[in-house]
Amino acid sequence: MTSSRFRVGIVGWGAYIPVYRIKAKEIARQWGFDDRVTDSIWIEEKAVAGADEDTVTMGWYAARSALLRAGVNPGDIGAVFVGTESKPYAVKPSSTIIADALGISAKKLSTDLEFACRAGSEGIRISVSLVESGAVRYGLAIGSDTAQANPGDVLELTASSGAAAYLVGPADESVAVFESLVTYVTDTPDFWRRDGSRYPAHGEGFTGEPAYFHHIVSAVKMLMNESGLKPSDFDYAVFHQPNGKFPLQVGRMLGFPREKVLPGIVTPWIGNTYNASALLGLAKILENSKPGQRILVAPFGSGAGADAISVLVTDKVLERVGKAPTVEELIARKKYISYAEYAKFRNLIHRNLW
Amino acid sequence: MKHSISIFWRLKDNHYKIYVTKCGDCGRVAPLKRLKCPYCGSRNVEHIESRGFGELINYTVSYYRTEGSEQYLPRVVGLVKLDEGPVIIGEITDVDLNELSIGTRVEAVLRKYSSEDPNGLIYYGLKFIPVIKK
Repeated sequence: MTSSRFRVGIVGWGAYIPVYRIKAKEIARQWGFDDRVTDSIWIEEKAVAGADEDTVTMGWYAARSALLRAGVNPGDIGAVFVGTESKPYAVKPSSTIIADALGISAKKLSTDLEFACRAGSEGIRISVSLVESGAVRYGLAIGSDTAQANPGDVLELTASSGAAAYLVGPADESVAVFESLVTYVTDTPDFWRRDGSRYPAHGEGFTGEPAYFHHIVSAVKMLMNESGLKPSDFDYAVFHQPNGKFPLQVGRMLGFPREKVLPGIVTPWIGNTYNASALLGLAKILENSKPGQRILVAPFGSGAGADAISVLVTDKVLERVGKAPTVEELIARKKYISYAEYAKFRNLIHRNLW
Repeated sequence: MKHSISIFWRLKDNHYKIYVTKCGDCGRVAPLKRLKCPYCGSRNVEHIESRGFGELINYTVSYYRTEGSEQYLPRVVGLVKLDEGPVIIGEITDVDLNELSIGTRVEAVLRKYSSEDPNGLIYYGLKFIPVIKK
């Protein structure tokens, strides 16, 4: 499924990273991991949502920043999508709470999407189609997660919290226009969480080669074949970041030099924010990009699938960066907490409640 | 804290937004949506949505425990002077008690007010944090 699009773009973007951080080595020591395991996957620390934060509150902040940057009337937004695998409610949409709190009109499409870590980018793809077809003027796609990991699982070293939001709209109002979008999905048993289960599980041998690498490489090659673009045509490449090592490795496999991948890497300092992971990397790149530059972004979600999206930056980006907190400002804002505080904030401690 | 679902829902707009009332006659600005200016009594008033930024002018720390509230304690309750003028009461979150200081610039953010009952509703509303973008 391919399409070349110059009529639709990113009108505004926003990010959110909670203030709290826990050192990955503290988690490693808590559960008896070899200290070197954190270096082997390149994770320094991860962001932890506070006790009063969740997917809705973080998604709200990122979306509000996207609207501030875009400067559009919330009443003109015709679709709101929240991509998440940590819905506060199993049944009751997060998207309607965020939309009402932002003052977005009741006349809209609104739903929560689930596809592990790439539901947020699926929201972008749907928004692009809705805007291009003329069904809506603007579509808001949010990726937000308070990522769960079984305490003591290696996943706990990285699973973190954060959100990113993109307001998709007409190209002539955009900070970056969509040039080409493709998606590659298959049934792959790399990572899952059963209904009613608190924490996800992962199929050990499946998470790397047959899942992350195969899907991202396939999606990006599909985009290259269908668009005629080459790695040398891109100024930056942003990939999903379950850790700091994988995006560098997949970039190498696809022929992207390290210096084009490194600027979009955020996971070593905030952890894997799941649905916000690649989208926060894209936000960081946009905030430092120059008009005319071309960016590749390739989110990945377990189960499994990857998108490859090519965007061209316009001159409107420069005036909008300063209107809301940047990813770098959010990464720099931090307070360290202990494992005990992290366990309290993330509801890992069993208590009698009533 | 237990809330009434129906009351909370009816007041949703006031939990998600901060409104002030500007008088078209005396020009003063009062907190909340009002039908009359509390200063001059004029009905020539306009309701404006606050941008949600202001300054912490005083605060108190509450250790008051209700069943299930332990996760959020202690709570800091502040007086915030909005940039639009009025002073309102709001919870201050994401702060260490030893870091709190009067004069801190704050911004309103959506947070959970309470969500203790795992089978119940989650109540969202605005609180304040120190501004992210200095």
